Amino acid sequence: MRKLLFVLTSLISVKSLAVARFPKPDFTSGYEYPDIVHGLPNESFWNVLDVVLLVGMMGLVVWAAYRKRSRAVIFSMSLVSVLYFGFFRSGCVCSVGSIQNVIIAAVDGGYHLPLYVLLVFLLPIIFALLFGRVFCSGVCPLGALQELINVKNFRLSRSVSVTLSIIPWIYLAFTILYAATRSQFLICRLDPFIGIFRFGGDIGVMSFGFVLLVMSVFVGRPFCQFICPYGALLSVFSALSWKKLEITGKGCVNCALCGVSCPVDAIRAPQSNRTKEERRKGVRRVIVLSLLLPVLTFVGAKLVGSQSDALSLAHKDVYLYELLLRQEANPELEEPLEVETFHAMGGDMAELKEKVDAVRSDYVFYSHLAGALIGFVIGFKLMKLSLKRGRKTYEISMARCTMCGKCFNYCPQNLKTPEK
Amino acid sequence: MERRNFLRTCSSFLAGGLTLASGGFLLTKANGRKGDLFWQIDPYKCTQCGRCETDCVLTVSAVKCFHANRVCGYCDLCGGYYRPGVKELDTAAENMMCPTGAIRREFVEEPYFEYTIDESLCTGCGKCVKGCTSFGNGSLFLQIDQEKCQQCNECAIARVCPSNAIERVSYDQAYKMKDHA
Repeated sequence: MRKLLFVLTSLISVKSLAVARFPKPDFTSGYEYPDIVHGLPNESFWNVLDVVLLVGMMGLVVWAAYRKRSRAVIFSMSLVSVLYFGFFRSGCVCSVGSIQNVIIAAVDGGYHLPLYVLLVFLLPIIFALLFGRVFCSGVCPLGALQELINVKNFRLSRSVSVTLSIIPWIYLAFTILYAATRSQFLICRLDPFIGIFRFGGDIGVMSFGFVLLVMSVFVGRPFCQFICPYGALLSVFSALSWKKLEITGKGCVNCALCGVSCPVDAIRAPQSNRTKEERRKGVRRVIVLSLLLPVLTFVGAKLVGSQSDALSLAHKDVYLYELLLRQEANPELEEPLEVETFHAMGGDMAELKEKVDAVRSDYVFYSHLAGALIGFVIGFKLMKLSLKRGRKTYEISMARCTMCGKCFNYCPQNLKTPEK
Repeated sequence: MERRNFLRTCSSFLAGGLTLASGGFLLTKANGRKGDLFWQIDPYKCTQCGRCETDCVLTVSAVKCFHANRVCGYCDLCGGYYRPGVKELDTAAENMMCPTGAIRREFVEEPYFEYTIDESLCTGCGKCVKGCTSFGNGSLFLQIDQEKCQQCNECAIARVCPSNAIERVSYDQAYKMKDHA
């Protein structure tokens, strides 16, 4: 091994002097050096167009959903989004992924957050606060792709869909953990549809994408409902939105057709005809659950926090450090490329150890935070389930509604009646 | 009903306020600095490990070989063109360093040859770069072609690069070249 090290270090040291090994040729035939030809990026124009289209398309969806109640407009927006944001711009930077840039910018003062990335992150949230999840509807290429191929809606049972809807929050928690510690961009790595937009990518992630696509023929938007962390974020803002989407402007007749049409189970049936539960029982349950909430938060923080050292292996430096330690313990093993390069470049073990310790202490904090978030969300979902609202008509749950516009066409009140 | 509406309005305003506040806070971070958005390889850090060829998200990597003619020695026996220890200096495939035949050479004058890279054939494997930096002037180097690069949020090659040679640069230095010497 020592011999190998010597060869490598000598190679590297030669390399730094490499420029003068052969003298510059003195041409006598009047030869002139050709210039290096390379294509320059032209990003700024496309970035401006991205933001303009983002706002324009979200505005159109708002108009189509609130004014026209037209699915046709929303559907064509989906097509435009898949073609432009998906295939033409090949999906980067998207709002879903921009969460990570924003997190890093918030924790790391030296990180540069371009203005358009911030806008791509903020604009859908602002729209959600005003009108609901307009972005999910026909602007997000990931959602639009599933929307375009959705044919049938097999309804999942409520308990299954509520349980699965915790996944986006777990995903978000780990995204925050990995982004804040500068380890990796989890959302970008696991984006299931980017491989389709780019005609190639990691085979595992791509096949997962295909499974999701096949699923989305039969179940409405499986990615948006049960995976997307940005959707989870938007649903919070959407639940508090200024305007509420209504299926019809002419008053509900309780025909239940809209409830059947909804692909994401966002339409809540009236409950006025059900037997009311005893008030004391309900109050007691809410009190118990609100006591459970901090307990769950604490348990979650402790559980994930206890794994912080194992989680920190996702960081490149920590991983390298562990590899180096393993190599030191078993010198007979074949050297991995990382270790070889570390030694060849004259890496300092003590310096690396310092870095690793800093990263690990970051991990202790952020893994507790991520665990707390997961625990809190589970507790909150339990509380939300236990609250029963009295409804007299069919209503849209703004948190879940992705504004596909299917219910508009199902509602008999929206039919154009011939003038008498 | 009234109480619920009141709570809802309050939390709406809270959420709106929070969004505006965090938006404003982030805006202070977003403004006033030149963007570092473009991925580039530092050719002086690169160890030609070969991962650029295999780890790019594109099927054919966006990393290509570039040639700094001003650094090149225009040698006949080129470490990037021929494999080490070749018997015949001809263009038979077993003598060539480049597996795809992307390096072309042209006679300039005695004893100099000009080398050019056919970028459409280059896969970014770095074999020629390794040969050139080990035995020659190091005029061949790997670099990310900005026309092909998707500018991923996180470069998939940077994540596995053993020498941390890939970093983000700003637009005015979108290429890290080697021919300034």
